[in-house]
Amino acid sequence: MNPCAIPEMRSDEKDGRWLSQHNHHISETKEREPEVVLIGDSIIHHLQLRPIWSELYEPLHCLNFGISGDKTQHVLWRIQNGELDNIRPKVVVIHVGTNNVDDTAEHVADAIVAIVNETRARLPEAYILVVELLPRGQNPNPLRDKNSEVNRIINVKLNGLLKVATVCGDLGLVQPDGTISHHDMPDFLHLSDAGYRKAFENVSEVLHQLVFAVEEDVALSE
Amino acid sequence: MKMVLSQRQREELNKAVADYLSSNGYMTALEGFKKDADMPGEVERKYGGLLEKKWTSVIRLQKKVMDLESKLSEAEKEYIEGAPTRNKRSPSDWIPRAPEKFSLVNHRAPVTKVIFHPVFSLAVSSSEDATIKVWDIESGEYERSLKGHTDSVQDIALDSSGKLLVSCSADMSIKLWDFTQYQCLKTMRGHEHNVSSVTFLPSGDYIVSASRDKTIKMWEVATGYCTKTFSGHREWVRQVKVSPDGLLIASCSNDHTVRVWVIATKECKAELRGHEHVVECIAWAPDASSSAINEAAGADNKKGAYEGPFLVSGSRDKTLRVWDTCHGICLFVLEGHDNWVRGVVFHPHGKYIVSASDDKSLRVWDIRNKRCSKKLEAHQHFCTSLDFHKTQPFVISGGVDQTVKIWECR
Repeated sequence: MNPCAIPEMRSDEKDGRWLSQHNHHISETKEREPEVVLIGDSIIHHLQLRPIWSELYEPLHCLNFGISGDKTQHVLWRIQNGELDNIRPKVVVIHVGTNNVDDTAEHVADAIVAIVNETRARLPEAYILVVELLPRGQNPNPLRDKNSEVNRIINVKLNGLLKVATVCGDLGLVQPDGTISHHDMPDFLHLSDAGYRKAFENVSEVLHQLVFAVEEDVALSE
Repeated sequence: MKMVLSQRQREELNKAVADYLSSNGYMTALEGFKKDADMPGEVERKYGGLLEKKWTSVIRLQKKVMDLESKLSEAEKEYIEGAPTRNKRSPSDWIPRAPEKFSLVNHRAPVTKVIFHPVFSLAVSSSEDATIKVWDIESGEYERSLKGHTDSVQDIALDSSGKLLVSCSADMSIKLWDFTQYQCLKTMRGHEHNVSSVTFLPSGDYIVSASRDKTIKMWEVATGYCTKTFSGHREWVRQVKVSPDGLLIASCSNDHTVRVWVIATKECKAELRGHEHVVECIAWAPDASSSAINEAAGADNKKGAYEGPFLVSGSRDKTLRVWDTCHGICLFVLEGHDNWVRGVVFHPHGKYIVSASDDKSLRVWDIRNKRCSKKLEAHQHFCTSLDFHKTQPFVISGGVDQTVKIWECR
């Protein structure tokens, strides 16, 4: 059994915040008409707190369903419990898995594929954009290596699926000497304003093409 | 006082002083100065007249600064008041200009709709904060709030006397308000989902509403009863507008179409296709627009002009389309907005269309030439709604940035 791919509610928060956030997402699906939904962990969640959000994401009519600390099994639970129902976004963006620190790369990658399948089942027409797991840690370390391995596996497994693509989020975060600057990742996991520009400006450009281009003209660039 | 000159500048000044003394024949002073300043020998020729030059240039530059300042204030005055060209423009060419006259802040969530009062100098706005707010457009003061809805207020409309206000909400109800006492008179229920649009018939006897339940309903003001239901749209109906003669209803929908209905028979007279995304807004053209629309459509006088009634629609596909509802055809398309078009109105004198968009701007379209003649960076977030005053030179806009703005036309 792969524990990362078994839908699960978060039980680590005693104040019920996790469920409150999920419920808020559900209420948004009933009122809003997003063209893009971003779902995943804190990397997704914090994006809406950054200048780049209002500048590049808001104009695309986005909803942000990121929850800090979420692992793959939690996102899977949220999707199975209504976060993608009642809406018809053109694109779903996914970043989750970096918090599955105790799981193997194979399990995390399979869980991401399961999330893609779960999304596809609910939104047959949507483009699904998986942002590759961001590197972490100031210096090369086993978790950063594992995230790279997850990215390698998902690229193999998702290759060839219709309207599914991965996008690289590490555009210049890891420097030539293998370190990550505290300017880009102050805690060496989450992104600063500058870090978000490096990682998510690229994603917004792909989104812009997908949202505004005519269907036939769109070719997803890897 | 400590000199703030550099070594080089001090030397230059000294030499300029020496030149001044020498050229004016103040030889005793020159000798003394040369000695004090430790500056033996002849003064070089390149310092000739330097001190006088600097002296006069200060005055010259001061004068220049004053000239430029007065020019700037003139330009600012012209920019703000529209003078002197304003006097040359006729009211039919007055269009909204930056900066806004007032930016009204009080809503606590995105503004969904803004309208002018037909008689008093008031404006009314509705918001996702579930309130309706009244503003004085002469003073820019907040007047009061109308509370009663329990979810986003989606649309509001006043009857021609301005004594009755109707509102509709995501709480699925329609409310009729006495706009002299600011009291809710009736709450009308019957729609099975979010009510997105509401308006009066010109006579003021009936209200028409549109809903996410895909229907359009007509309600009798006197009794509050639903008297007609118009079915046909395949999805959420976003907006309804009654034609000026009170005989037709135009509606637009998430199903990408605009429909025209005959009120008397509930028959769908035309289904207008062309938009490639949700159609957000529509407006009937005033009679004054006919000649401009015909010219823009390239109508040949020999073959006979289009007679209308004409309609404009705005869509999430970023375009505006102008339609002849009689023939059921699209006459021309206005392209330029960079995001969803959310609101559209005709200039009361008929030469222009003004639109509001999620690209945060208001645009003024010259109908005859089918081009955008003015873009106003109106709000810091999506611009959701606008209205043009029927008799006074004002435009009002509302945005997701929670502000309501009044723009003077000139």
